[in-house]
Amino acid sequence: MQRVKTIKRYLRGLLLALLLCLGFWQFGQGVYIPAKAWVAQELMHRAWLRAGTGSHKPAPWPWADTYPVARLSTKGGDVQLIVLEGGSGRTLAFGPGHLSLSALPGQSGNSIIMGHRDTHFRFLQFLALGDTLQVELPDGRKHVYEVSAIDVVDSRRGSLVLDTDDSMLSLVTCYPFDAMEAGGPMRYVVSARLAS
Amino acid sequence: MRIRFRKHRDGRAQKDQEAKYGSRNCHPEPELESFRQVRARLCRQSKWHWMAVFLVAIWVPRAPAAEIQPSEVRPDQVQSGTLLFRMQHGYEIATRMKTDIDARVTGLVARVSVRQAFMNDGPEWVEGVYVFPLPDEAAVDHLRMTIGERIIEGEIREKAQAKKQYEQAKAEGRKASLVEQERANLFTASVANVAPGETVIVEIEYLQTIRYDEGAFSLRFPMTVTPRYINGHPLPDRTGSGWSPDTTWVLDASRITPPVVKRSKDQKVTFNAELNAGVPLALIASRYHVVDISNNGSRYHVALAKGGAPMDHDLELTWKPVPDSLPRAMLFTEAIDGDQHALLMMLPPDDFSVLRQRVPRELIFVIDTSGSMHGTSIDQAKRALNLALSGLAPADRFNVIQFNSMTGALFPNSVDASASNIAVARRYVSGLNAEGGTEMYPALSRALMAAHYESYLRQVIFITDGSVGNESALFTLIEQQLGNSRLFTVGIGSAPNSWFMRKAAEAGRGTFTTISALHEVNEKMERLFRKIELPQVTDIVVQWPGNVIAESYPATIPDLYAGEPIMVRTRLASGVAANATVLIRGTSAGGSWDAELDWETGEARSGIGALWARARIEELMDRRRQGRSEEETRDAVVAVALKHHLVSRFTSLVAVDKTPVRPGNTLLTREQVPNLLPYGQSMVAISGFTATATDAAVYRMNGVLLMLTGWLFFTYLKFWRSGSATRKDD
Repeated sequence: MQRVKTIKRYLRGLLLALLLCLGFWQFGQGVYIPAKAWVAQELMHRAWLRAGTGSHKPAPWPWADTYPVARLSTKGGDVQLIVLEGGSGRTLAFGPGHLSLSALPGQSGNSIIMGHRDTHFRFLQFLALGDTLQVELPDGRKHVYEVSAIDVVDSRRGSLVLDTDDSMLSLVTCYPFDAMEAGGPMRYVVSARLAS
Repeated sequence: MRIRFRKHRDGRAQKDQEAKYGSRNCHPEPELESFRQVRARLCRQSKWHWMAVFLVAIWVPRAPAAEIQPSEVRPDQVQSGTLLFRMQHGYEIATRMKTDIDARVTGLVARVSVRQAFMNDGPEWVEGVYVFPLPDEAAVDHLRMTIGERIIEGEIREKAQAKKQYEQAKAEGRKASLVEQERANLFTASVANVAPGETVIVEIEYLQTIRYDEGAFSLRFPMTVTPRYINGHPLPDRTGSGWSPDTTWVLDASRITPPVVKRSKDQKVTFNAELNAGVPLALIASRYHVVDISNNGSRYHVALAKGGAPMDHDLELTWKPVPDSLPRAMLFTEAIDGDQHALLMMLPPDDFSVLRQRVPRELIFVIDTSGSMHGTSIDQAKRALNLALSGLAPADRFNVIQFNSMTGALFPNSVDASASNIAVARRYVSGLNAEGGTEMYPALSRALMAAHYESYLRQVIFITDGSVGNESALFTLIEQQLGNSRLFTVGIGSAPNSWFMRKAAEAGRGTFTTISALHEVNEKMERLFRKIELPQVTDIVVQWPGNVIAESYPATIPDLYAGEPIMVRTRLASGVAANATVLIRGTSAGGSWDAELDWETGEARSGIGALWARARIEELMDRRRQGRSEEETRDAVVAVALKHHLVSRFTSLVAVDKTPVRPGNTLLTREQVPNLLPYGQSMVAISGFTATATDAAVYRMNGVLLMLTGWLFFTYLKFWRSGSATRKDD
């Protein structure tokens, strides 16, 4: 009898430990993703400074397969993000990615930047028509864009147009912002027009 | 810290934001207080309530992002006035598709009819556009448009002229349909002026030769298009309505990138085949679909079970004659306007293929790790590569190259196939992930141009789904840089670009293999390795009867690998004498041999002429790549295609109704019918938009829930023990 009780208690303890471990692990994963996003931005700001001093297309860390193409900031400077080249999932974990096919900021055509709705591009939901965004290129040139449209589109139907006559900037992220699961079809698109 | 998300969480800032933008972004943090209250309340209740809490905590409903309906987008969130998007009219596509495939196989030739029913369920008149795949050697020669009871036969026209005719009919409100070729294996069907609630059927017929390899015949029907990777810079104008703009590298990208949907009840296919193999069969089967098979003697009837299947997976029929029942040679002929056309298949003698001394080889494995391989494809590719590594002999050298947006090699140059090197390679392979673009050119170039090792035979094993748009540039690369190397392609996935696989292997003087399911990796890779040892028959020459000029394709017969037949199509520019013979010569490991075949034994069969014409068009297109001028090619192709009623890069089939039906004041909406996502592929990896959310929130929530459950369990144990202790005291 006493023995059965001991075993029962032991099993209970094991279950408890298991639940807590699993919980910690999952929670850790959940914290790791934004932490990586943040640390990467820190590293990239350094790479950005190096870019300013003439190093061509510097990699933010030795084994990186991408490089910073621009620095995006909001008017008040609350949000400052280093934009990386390429829109692959690997790149987006570290920072917003500039779609390689699209124009570079400041050039004529649409420059498309994608970012995660729950890390770097969380701030998109607070942008309003008429807000200004500043894009700084590695050579120091700065372009100011004014938000001209905000759309929610279905990625299965809509397509991004790259060949606009004006210089445009499109910031794309997933929608809705507070959905739990990733992989939904809706996208939140902030379009901005070159102001000056 | 430069990203200050925290600021938005701060109460005051949040309030300010809400005052400025409204409270649409309100998503409160979970209130842990309420759980404390729950616990306080439940502490006083029985243990069953506790169990309920556990269950609720674990099964708390999540907001599934994937199921968000467009209707949930509130009008205030969507501001109009943007020209950025070419949205379809509304969110629902009104045009539905139903496809029926009917195939009749006699001997070596299949005649297939594909009936596409365009059903307009919407309230508006539509123009339906559908980009669909066909087998890469298909000779498309018939178009029939059925409107209710009426049938309108299509005419073959030069491409521009056909388009003009179609556009004119479309503008005048008449029904019309047009079938154009985009790639050797990719076609577009358009049908104009489909009335609301109406169904228009576009029926296409094509001819195809049956593939024979190692004792089995096979016939493959592609069902969907794996979205292709488009490289280059976007061009200002677009010629089609696909998801990609035209680019500097792929000038017609917008025409070959149809929209893709993951699931659709409408994208169904029915399939029926009549098979008259002419010889008793030991086996007949469909590799990837469940089929019903019945037979009457040597005539077999094959149909998809349960009346249909989703169009997300190529269908492959395989049949094997009873051993030794198959004649060593088969000849089919057709006379058109005094010209003789012939299709010849011959199996070289087996007993000559004695194994030669093994030559040390340098094997370079190139594996595609682009986003389109994501899902089951990369698993198949990795398994295939692992098997290939096991097949290496110690005397061989090898290297592994992977590519997506970038090319990476395991070793700078190929290394000895020592146990330790192979172990390193296995680790490398198991760590491969599929994401990013499909920049195939640099990878192929690297494999073919790598430093050569004397006395080693270099064989490049190229594992890919071929979902690229710049096929031509790649063929040119292979032709120019091949040297003494040989290229073997292994097509992976539910819907690989088999045209690319076949032509690349042809240009690379190797063979191609398709693997479409994990369970066939072993079988097919073993077969590939058996073949790859060395070509078994070389220097093949076919001498056609008399002194007439023969135009044969392939012009020079490629080396044959184990189990492959000689397959050649020809045209003789005059009649053939009654007792004429065809002479075939070749060299095998055991020495040279020749065979003689009486022309008389040839069976007359219609369609042989069209198959020859199709082969000639392919040859002409190849020659254009090798430097022949565009105009010269065009003229030659148009001449052949018009004569044999074939769709080609420069000719299209068009069917036009005479009477206008759409009232002049109503609009016509253009709708592109989507293709189904190939089976096993993941949508995120290939959609034009990247995935822009992480699973961090789900992880965090799971973590909190699990820990909470643990904590509740803990307090429950304490509570219960103290409870039972109290009861004991009573």
